Amino acid sequence: MLVEAILIGLWAGIAGIDQFNGLTHLHRPIVAGAVIGLILGDLQTGLIAGATLELVWAGMVPLAGAQPPNVVIGGVIGTAFAVLVGQEPQTAVGIAVPFAVAAQAIITLLFTAYSPIMHKMDQYVLKGNLKAIDRLNYLGPVILFVFFFIISFLPIYFGAEKAAEFVSLMPEWLTNGLTVAGGIMPAVGFAMLMKIMFKWTYAPFFAIGFVAIAYLQLPILAVAIIAVAIAAYDFSFGGGSPKVKTANAGVADEEDYSDGI
Amino acid sequence: MVSKEQEQINKDEIIKDGYNDPTSEKVLTKKDLNHMVWRSLFLQASFNYERMQAGGWLYSILPGLKKIHKDKDDLKAATLDHMQFFNTHPFLITFVQSIILAMEEAKENRSAIRGIKVALMGPLGGIGDALFWLTLLPITGGIAASLATEGNIMGPILFLLAFNAVHFGLRFFLMHYGYKKGTAAISSLKEGTKKISRAASIVGISVVAALIASYVNFKLDWTIQAGEIPVNIQTEVLDSIMPALLPLVYTVFCYWLLKKGRSPLTLIGVTLVIGIAGSLLGIV
Repeated sequence: MLVEAILIGLWAGIAGIDQFNGLTHLHRPIVAGAVIGLILGDLQTGLIAGATLELVWAGMVPLAGAQPPNVVIGGVIGTAFAVLVGQEPQTAVGIAVPFAVAAQAIITLLFTAYSPIMHKMDQYVLKGNLKAIDRLNYLGPVILFVFFFIISFLPIYFGAEKAAEFVSLMPEWLTNGLTVAGGIMPAVGFAMLMKIMFKWTYAPFFAIGFVAIAYLQLPILAVAIIAVAIAAYDFSFGGGSPKVKTANAGVADEEDYSDGI
Repeated sequence: MVSKEQEQINKDEIIKDGYNDPTSEKVLTKKDLNHMVWRSLFLQASFNYERMQAGGWLYSILPGLKKIHKDKDDLKAATLDHMQFFNTHPFLITFVQSIILAMEEAKENRSAIRGIKVALMGPLGGIGDALFWLTLLPITGGIAASLATEGNIMGPILFLLAFNAVHFGLRFFLMHYGYKKGTAAISSLKEGTKKISRAASIVGISVVAALIASYVNFKLDWTIQAGEIPVNIQTEVLDSIMPALLPLVYTVFCYWLLKKGRSPLTLIGVTLVIGIAGSLLGIV
């Protein structure tokens, strides 16, 4: 278990850096699922758990700077426990969320504690020592790496077996309830996306996307292609184009009217 | 240790509006610009709540500033100026870099540079949210998840390839485009912002609706006796009204709570309670 826990810790460290620097998004649960599945020797379960957690975190993104439960810890701990404890991926969501919330709280503290570094940088600038700016800037990712390594290594090294024991003692109504809740959980993320994005003028496009899946059962990619086609049309000829609005003042008025409802 | 007040006075003395060496010369090469695109990846390396991305921002344009300002005091003024509060969308940072570097190179007044920098931060934040968090990530993540749920390893691989093709493509494009156009690029950004946001929102909202219908897994397992006849609430009642009705209703409910100012954490708690309560009642 030690080797696996160290490997998982290393991955969490890299992912922790990527969440704030680099942003290649290898830190998302969909990738963590595959990597941790490989480390623990069960790629299939890892992939499925990663996909489930990816959807839970689909909407939990740092919109306008607000930090949601930490996606790295959620993905890493969630998949690791799903594989190690042998639970349904949806149950893993229930286990992962508290860890992710705690991790985010500590990161907030980290970002507060980093404020004095700014004054240090000011002084180096005044002295003309610009190499030191580079060095101080590299220090942040190093701290993130260590932090993420520790908080994912510890629960997996010490906790996995105890968690398995604990889960085996849980009554069926509780595990079943957690599984159901895990299945519903993506709704929270999607609602967060809608809070930022949704306006009544976009309601028709929401309806098209919903119907394409609920009734027509098209794949997601098909919906994306249809939506891009509509957006491209709208971009050139529709409401998105200011030229058309000025050319047909009547149309523009009508649109404003429907906006008001 | 210098006190805060003293520091402030020093800064005002050092950051003058003009330059000791006002000669402007095109010194940045394509190679320099590409180098600074890579450095832009560390924008948030020294993120903190006092000045947010200020340290990473200075780091990202530092090689350019060194090359542009050969006079020691000019360089000091520029670097100190760029240590002030800075925060923008981390994906679109190269656009700000390119405009500011073009202005530094032209030896525009420091106050003008500062003004443009601050004016760019806000709008880019909104457009970056619309493009990346609301459109690119849900689409690539959603498609990858649908592959991975079937145990297909191509899910995560395709996710990384598709996401980063757009991500790095945009980083390099914006750097070179912004540098070539200079401040003229800002007006084209202003014109384009609304249109791009709208197009991104149309795609995003359709895909989110599709994701709700496919991935919110909310089904009842509840049969009641209507007289003598057993009626399955899920298959015979809800599904005949509309497929994926409960996922839609529950997501709209969450949306409504968020609009009322409830935090996502509350919603997670509510969801857990519903799952466990439903399980206890034996209806899920």
